Amino acid sequence: MKGYVGKILKVDLTTEKWHIKSFDEKHVRNVLGGQGFCVDIVYHGVPEGADPLGSQNVLAIAGGAFDGFPVGTGGKVAFAAKGPATNTLVESIMGGSIGPELRHAGYDALEITGKADGPAYIFIEDDKIEINDASDLWGKDTRVVPEALKKRHGWDVKVACIGVAGEKLSNMACIDCDDRQSGRGGLGAVMGSKNLKAIVVRGTRDLVPHDPKKLLELALHYQKIYEASPSFVEDTKYGTGEFLGWVNKDRGVFPTKNWQESVYNERQQIDPYYWAPKYVTKNKACFACTKPCGKLFEVKSGKFAGVAIDGIEYETLYSLGGTCGNPDVESVARANELCDLLGLDTISCGVTIGFAMELYQRGIISRQEAGVDLSWSNAPSAVPEMVELIGNRRGFGDVLANGVKVAAQKIGKGAERYAIHTKGLEPPAYDVRGMKGHGLAYMTSTRGACHLRAGFYAPELVGKFWKWEGIDRFSAVGKGPMVATMENFMCVYDSVGLCKFSRGFYLIAKLPEVLEAITGLRFTEDELLKIGERIHNMKGAFNYREGVTRKDWLLPQRVLEDPITDGVSKGSKISVDEMNLMLDDYMNARGWTKDGKPTPEKLKELGIE
Amino acid sequence: MLVPYPENCTGCRFCEMACTIFHEGVVNHTTARLQVHKKNVKVDFPSVCTHCVSCGEDCCVLHCPVEAIKKENGRVFVNQDECTACGTCVEVCPFGVMRMEEKAFNCDLCGGDPTCVKFCPMKAIVYEEPKPEQYEKVKKLLGEE
Repeated sequence: MKGYVGKILKVDLTTEKWHIKSFDEKHVRNVLGGQGFCVDIVYHGVPEGADPLGSQNVLAIAGGAFDGFPVGTGGKVAFAAKGPATNTLVESIMGGSIGPELRHAGYDALEITGKADGPAYIFIEDDKIEINDASDLWGKDTRVVPEALKKRHGWDVKVACIGVAGEKLSNMACIDCDDRQSGRGGLGAVMGSKNLKAIVVRGTRDLVPHDPKKLLELALHYQKIYEASPSFVEDTKYGTGEFLGWVNKDRGVFPTKNWQESVYNERQQIDPYYWAPKYVTKNKACFACTKPCGKLFEVKSGKFAGVAIDGIEYETLYSLGGTCGNPDVESVARANELCDLLGLDTISCGVTIGFAMELYQRGIISRQEAGVDLSWSNAPSAVPEMVELIGNRRGFGDVLANGVKVAAQKIGKGAERYAIHTKGLEPPAYDVRGMKGHGLAYMTSTRGACHLRAGFYAPELVGKFWKWEGIDRFSAVGKGPMVATMENFMCVYDSVGLCKFSRGFYLIAKLPEVLEAITGLRFTEDELLKIGERIHNMKGAFNYREGVTRKDWLLPQRVLEDPITDGVSKGSKISVDEMNLMLDDYMNARGWTKDGKPTPEKLKELGIE
Repeated sequence: MLVPYPENCTGCRFCEMACTIFHEGVVNHTTARLQVHKKNVKVDFPSVCTHCVSCGEDCCVLHCPVEAIKKENGRVFVNQDECTACGTCVEVCPFGVMRMEEKAFNCDLCGGDPTCVKFCPMKAIVYEEPKPEQYEKVKKLLGEE
């Protein structure tokens, strides 16, 4: 078996001991790599009822099967643990270079257990493994930390770290590597709870593919396809926010002012067609991406002069822009930078601020309680201010630091009505009232409201994808099996480590050829989808065991009760009946009980123990 | 020659992988004949072999104690029979791209059709006439590290 190292490094921070576990082809055929490896580690490693922020939780890191090899956009690394925001198995994927570096060091995956006595960082250099003191790094931001560690260990080490939000155990804390983030579900807090500030890796070993010539040929073939595609031009010019205007005007599903509206009329400045020519000074990319959607966004003058970020992503244009009613792109950029520095997920952080702003609008919280003028008209000042308060858990920021679900419980006074989340995770930038299957995907996502576990926004917004055509986004009929299939599909992408934005270039049918060139192993399309199904079922079984059942999956009240008020999707909502129909269909398609439990027969069929 | 354009580099490092897959059939950035530095959010840059265009006094050709490094048609190469693997060239190379396994080696421009260039749609590495001012930019960035 080529391509893989065949080794998993297990480090226990409590005992400061580590050992190496080998795996063989059987493991690869089971869970493939990346997300699959991570899910397997957490599924088997975290005891029932373990506190996500306790020493029993396990943090797993693994590059995908393609990671480290020349496959365009194939450099994704997965992080996973039991997540503090949802109490479920959370995996979060990013494009930082720590995944391939770990493989060069000799490990396909890293499994971290226990809790260090005090601030610590793990240093890995091939066979050398150290757990070092990080007292001097504690309290430092996600740019200072890698800079300091590179000064200490050399410019070429790769660093994943947390910011202050992770140290302070915020449910929305992320993990940063190369200015890219594993954002969702609070994995930064899991690192923080282990007193683990950073992971530093240098690897010098060869990664050996099965057929290098074929691999290079395939890479050139796909490079030509990328460069000839319209999305290449869109991605490199405008980034992921390219379709923001279209989602607003032509689809009417851009959640605005905490989902009170679905078209953001003041969007002119946050549309990349406005800001890209003005503020973007360079393209940025994930590891191995030759079709870069990252942008270096720089503010050169004015109140926010000096801001420099890799962004602004579509999701962030919504979370720190639209849903906070913040039309000022420089303010959005500054808030984005603060999120990055403090180590906060921009989606959860922005949605939580938008939630607080609606509570303020309704008089549920006062100016005095908030400590900041949270009126919509003050958004350009209030949003960056609130990000700082949340990240540092200062003042009202402490109330908001664990997201909308926890904040609503703390605030009371009917605040729950305005808390938009599923399973405790704040939703991304699609108003699912006008895309019902995507609404189902927000419920079924194992890590809480997510646009990427099923990626169902693409089929519904475009109306066709893969083997489907004529998809009606306003219909709840038939969505269950489609969402289940797409979840399996996406698990495969996260396990080979291919960017989901490339899913249209490869679909599933073209992955076996690339996998064979790297590993020498043959897979069929069906086998890959079965692996995806297995990975998703492991997550489902884990979540059910942790007591997260159908009642916790349900859509927020606003989505079920308040129809969309404006734009082309006006009048649409997901009724309780439609929600239940979709959930029943989904459970059926999965072979799960109505309550969301993967049955013993299903688990047996998939070989899950 | 390979000309680096730091202002275009996204930091994806595909060029490093392509380099060693082409030459050795494996991936290893420690033997790639070029390096990508991800310095901070603002700065990523490729460092390439300039074939003595901008090396000045630090030129490997001048420093090789056994004169195993030669320059021919504007290109620098290491005579594998004469190289003693002493490591002097690796130490002096201002661009960090003289590499060492059993013997020293460096960029051979893939025989005239550089693989790294094919995978750089952003044109951060371009195969063209040498541009000393671009090499100086990289040298300055390396000096800051």
